[in-house]
Amino acid sequence: MKKLFLLTLAVCLVACWWITGSPVIAQAKTVKIGAIYPLTGGAAAAGRELKAGAELSAKIANNMMPGLDMDMAKNAGIKSLGGAKIKLIFKDHQANPTLGADLAKKLILDDKVDGMLGCYHSSVTKTVSAVCEQYGVPMINGTSTSPALTTRGFKWFWRTTPHDKWFTKDLFELLKGLTQGKVKGVKAVPEKEISNLASACEKTEWGSHVSSIIKSLAKEYGFNLRKSLLYTAKAPDLSSEVRSLKAARPDVMLFASYTSDAILLVKTLKAQKAKPKIIWGQDAGFEKPEFRSTLRDSIVGILTRTVFLPKVAQIKKVAGQVNALYKGKTGNDLGGASARAFTGVQTWVHILEKAGSTKPADIQRAANAIRIPGDQLVVPWAGIQFTPSGDELGQNVLGSGLIGQYQMVDGKLVLEIIYPFDVATADMIFPFKWF
Amino acid sequence: MEALSSALDFSDFPRLDMIIAGVLGGLLVIFPATPHSAFAMATMIQFLMFSLYGMGWNTIGGYGGQVDLGKAQYVGIGAFTTAVLMVRWDVPFWVSMPIGVCFAVIWSFIIGYPLFRLKGHYFAIATIATSLVLKDIFEVWDFVGAACGIEISPIKYNPPDFLHLIFKEDIYYYYVILGFFFLGILYVNWFRKSRLGFQLRSIKDNEEVAKSLGINVHWAKIKTYAIATSFVSVVGSFHACYIKNIEPEDTMSLDISILIALMAMLGGAGSLWGPIIGAGVLIPLKSYLKEWLGARAGLIGIDLIVYGAIIMLVSAVEPRGIWGIVEKVRRRKRN
Amino acid sequence: MDILVSSLFAGLLIGMVLAMVALGLTIIFGVMEIVNFAHGEFLMVGMYTGLLTAQATGMEPLLTLPVAAAAGFLLGIICYFGFVKFVIRGPMVAQLLGTFGLMIFLRNLALLFFGAEDRAIHQGILVGKSFNIGMGVIAPATKLAAAALSVIAFWAVWLVINRTKIGKALTATSLNPQGARYMGISTERMNALAWGIGGGTVTIAGALLVNFWSVNPFIGLLFTMIAFAIVALGGFGSVSGAFFAGLAVGVITEIPGIWDFLTYIFNFGWMADVPMTSLKYMWVYLAYFVIMIVRPRGLFGWKR
Repeated sequence: MKKLFLLTLAVCLVACWWITGSPVIAQAKTVKIGAIYPLTGGAAAAGRELKAGAELSAKIANNMMPGLDMDMAKNAGIKSLGGAKIKLIFKDHQANPTLGADLAKKLILDDKVDGMLGCYHSSVTKTVSAVCEQYGVPMINGTSTSPALTTRGFKWFWRTTPHDKWFTKDLFELLKGLTQGKVKGVKAVPEKEISNLASACEKTEWGSHVSSIIKSLAKEYGFNLRKSLLYTAKAPDLSSEVRSLKAARPDVMLFASYTSDAILLVKTLKAQKAKPKIIWGQDAGFEKPEFRSTLRDSIVGILTRTVFLPKVAQIKKVAGQVNALYKGKTGNDLGGASARAFTGVQTWVHILEKAGSTKPADIQRAANAIRIPGDQLVVPWAGIQFTPSGDELGQNVLGSGLIGQYQMVDGKLVLEIIYPFDVATADMIFPFKWF
Repeated sequence: MEALSSALDFSDFPRLDMIIAGVLGGLLVIFPATPHSAFAMATMIQFLMFSLYGMGWNTIGGYGGQVDLGKAQYVGIGAFTTAVLMVRWDVPFWVSMPIGVCFAVIWSFIIGYPLFRLKGHYFAIATIATSLVLKDIFEVWDFVGAACGIEISPIKYNPPDFLHLIFKEDIYYYYVILGFFFLGILYVNWFRKSRLGFQLRSIKDNEEVAKSLGINVHWAKIKTYAIATSFVSVVGSFHACYIKNIEPEDTMSLDISILIALMAMLGGAGSLWGPIIGAGVLIPLKSYLKEWLGARAGLIGIDLIVYGAIIMLVSAVEPRGIWGIVEKVRRRKRN
Repeated sequence: MDILVSSLFAGLLIGMVLAMVALGLTIIFGVMEIVNFAHGEFLMVGMYTGLLTAQATGMEPLLTLPVAAAAGFLLGIICYFGFVKFVIRGPMVAQLLGTFGLMIFLRNLALLFFGAEDRAIHQGILVGKSFNIGMGVIAPATKLAAAALSVIAFWAVWLVINRTKIGKALTATSLNPQGARYMGISTERMNALAWGIGGGTVTIAGALLVNFWSVNPFIGLLFTMIAFAIVALGGFGSVSGAFFAGLAVGVITEIPGIWDFLTYIFNFGWMADVPMTSLKYMWVYLAYFVIMIVRPRGLFGWKR
């Protein structure tokens, strides 16, 4: 019986001594990159896309792919590192920032990764990048768009995607364009017909920043923001939010939503017979395959900002080739999330190629000096180049966004490019028709 | 002085217990010197934190028999006070921690006064309700960062910064929390032998009798509740500096409250070692189950399934927890 | 004005379903004075049962009610004989933590099987249809049907309890277990029956709710708290009290709409800035707290 007591106390403590963490096997020719994505939870759909995009990119980098017009397809592995292969170690953060930071620590200390990638949710990217900063491990972020992330003065954090200030500005430019008759297929709309806005954003890091950007830009562009609310993305029911939006009688409804809440929102809007003239989603949930497949034709006319549409594949040859590979792998077209995860890994490859070493300091120098030309990328950007100084440290300055609209073409739902005006692929549907 | 000697006096425990406790305490001190993974280190810090939470809960929940399921709100108050003061006015940890305790205690008085008119289930549910209300308020309160929470920027301080408790290596955090841990044990050791401690136990046994003995039951409960609160708030402050990013969803969730109560219950509520044993069993179990079965085998939530099963088993078979089993065995041996 | 009427209407509609959610809790409490923390998890089981049955068989979601009820009844009985029976012998603390353990267990079992994704029903004749009743009130067909079915089910349970022999035995057990035992009523069986009915009613509510709410494994706690608030308001153990309290709590969850209405009337700038929608469930928790402090017997309480 003494033994029993001794055992209970001793066993638990001995358990702590247990040295876990995967054994560090000395493999000369791999570069380990930790990728923390939401593989389960409310954004699991996004996580699957991100993972597939990143994996495809790593595959192209690690193998010769003669048919592909990309630098990284021309070599097997990283040439300047003697053909070292990229190895991605995926971890699941479940949209939980604290868990993300925990995983980052584990990846850095126990798995000894050379760099990090991730994390989709801005709130998680925030904590993970803080850990990376503390340990001096370079991190490239491809998919989190909260503007605050790059204004923190971090020296080990680079972001390839443009952020929400640009995207939201695009939207207001589109609205302005509507009143001036610049939009393809729509006559100039009287200003007062679209002057009332209402927004609903999820309430963590990303959504709350989008909300405040919408507020300030609405003022700047002279629109009248009648209602602006935050909601929790995990909510099982959003009907009182929708009623509140509807009561404000807005012409334009703006959303920043992750996947399941975006679906719920649109469903509830429809059930409540809301009649906005424009519905605009800030990417994320609004361009997921699930969003399309569950709501089907009821989303015709909804706008979403994005960085990648299948239409881009028709304009850009590289994008088309990669899209075909991706479709072969997953059955879906590349989307904003997967294309940017792909680009994130690609940026890693270019930086490592340039650094010629996996020492953090060399990577840092290479990242600050890198310039990837636009023709290498699947996304329709002018390229990738990070700001090495100033208020926004490590932000890619050559990125740009698109605004797409869901339209029915030959009985199939497609996203057509509406903005920028000069690359528009179809006439805009205005006003939004639901019933 | 008398209080101190009472705190240091463990002579009412069997010698065997003392030897085991001493050895384990020694092991805790030298743990960082042994080879360990970062994961094991994080687990140990968690273990110490939850032991402290559990010790706090044990004063009101164990000795006093009032099942409090709203401790997370005080974790939140402590953590947010420290974080807000540090981020906005650069106040060092050692100053903001006592301020956090003050806030937590004030809040505990405000809600404790009406709360302790309730008993049993009603009390337990009401504590959950208050905790959820406070969490919802924090989630919309811009001053404390609303739902985004507050981040203590790692580049603003030059680690190791003992004043602000900002370190790069976990080993510093380990020793800080270990210090609190030993202090906590001493305090609870004093508490259980103090006047209030005896009053509480008589309340737990029979409230009516306690009342007839002239004990101000309501006031004794509120006081103890404040003590429990201070424990939790201190660790909450530490949590803020350790995690560096706190948000209501995480720090104030009901899960934390349940875990806290659970550790103490499983180890054995109402005994000095109970919460420590509970945390020592549950935290490593949780971490390693999560790592082995959860993250590697893809069985999400398996750690908590086992957890739930353990709680059900313990509550059905031996409600007094592991310590209860130990005592039962001892008693049987003596007879 | 529109927003006020439509909010109140929506509140009453959802209130009827919420009353159904709380019914089981109050019956169980009435019969054996044990608070079931896993109540919301029973509801979650009901929601998943309804959802999966509808998806697997392609059945109309509302027709899955009997399946859900049967599943809930079974779950209740299993829980009673497999677990609760042992716990009620122990002290109150053990009961509390025991049902808590049950809650964690069920929740994570669901997480293991179904994953953390939100799921919702997208097919069915009623899904996506709604009626414009006038006064700005738009009633989604699924909610109307759910509310109506809730009331019917509630009424049926009320009849069973008040008009049948078994119901009388249940009532007797809850009023005086000892006395009931002397009269030859098996309290053990009554307890099990209470758990069965408790489980069955709440899973019915779940199968109704899933027609318009999405479900994930973590949804239970919210409903446990809502159910507690209803039971506290209606009086622990009171069946008819639960119905009216359910309506009241339904309206409480619509406070944001009422607030919007006031905002438009008074037109104060600061009112528009209050993030009322984020706080909608806070009022429910607060209501529970206040009711317990001010009037612990509830509005219709008959037992303490």
